[in-house]
Amino acid sequence: MNVEVTRVYHFSAAHRLENEALSGDANAALYGVCHRPHGHNYYLEVTVAGRPDPVTGMAVDLGRLDETVGRAVLDRVDHHTLEGVDALRGVITTGEGLARAFWRILQPEVGAATLRRVTVVETAKNRFDYRGGA
Amino acid sequence: MSASAYSTRRFSFSAAHRYWVEAWSAAENERVFGRLTAPHGHNYTLDVTIRGPIDAQTGMVIDLGELKRIVGETVVDRFDHADLAVDTLFRGKVATTENIALAVWDLLAPKLGTDRLWQVRVWEDPTLYVDVRGEAPSGEPSSSRGVDVRGEAPSGEPSSSRGRE
Repeated sequence: MNVEVTRVYHFSAAHRLENEALSGDANAALYGVCHRPHGHNYYLEVTVAGRPDPVTGMAVDLGRLDETVGRAVLDRVDHHTLEGVDALRGVITTGEGLARAFWRILQPEVGAATLRRVTVVETAKNRFDYRGGA
Repeated sequence: MSASAYSTRRFSFSAAHRYWVEAWSAAENERVFGRLTAPHGHNYTLDVTIRGPIDAQTGMVIDLGELKRIVGETVVDRFDHADLAVDTLFRGKVATTENIALAVWDLLAPKLGTDRLWQVRVWEDPTLYVDVRGEAPSGEPSSSRGVDVRGEAPSGEPSSSRGRE
């Protein structure tokens, strides 16, 4: 029987919402206070699916998942400004934009059949899930 | 077809476990599991989600008192302040969070019925949880059924259990 294993990670970063195609006034009107440089204590949840190994009882090697998420995502964004992160070039750093961007970074590493969900929790009031697809 | 609602109740139990495969040598266990081979414990959090129509008379998916009694008698009384390594449910198995979630599902499914029991979520600590849902009738993996039951992470100090040390 399959299970889904979710690991909760944390990073802190600065960002601002800005569409480079728009003027400063248009961005300020569109994004309001979110256009000002500010930051969050983010939580990143990564969900993988698998069947527990009959011997070890483990569906996923969490040490390996931690290494992958740490190297591919956390090390790049923690205590950085998201707009300056190469891996996020062109991404409007909304919660949903980040969830999709992290999915695209993690999927080749974790495996398309294994990765089930990437969730970005921006504040206690806002969480964004991305499950791939269209 | 009437719409379903999902009702989740939270439980907790504190239990001991260790990562240890009897068939392996001590050195092999140490190599694979590291410090997890030492008996230790967690404050586990269990979220049980029931799915069903909202009863027209009571306005409830399930009587939460009934759910509390069933989960209490079946799971919490058994696992709270217990050593999972010696529970017969884990004979020949490691009491990983994955296997604990599967064991909870197997304990509750006959009592609640798989038509009502939707999901079992076991949190080992605030950084790790495992979900089990029933197999879809078509045989496709349950996890492809995209329902997500939300809950606040249990409060408390995160501890990296199986993660980076």
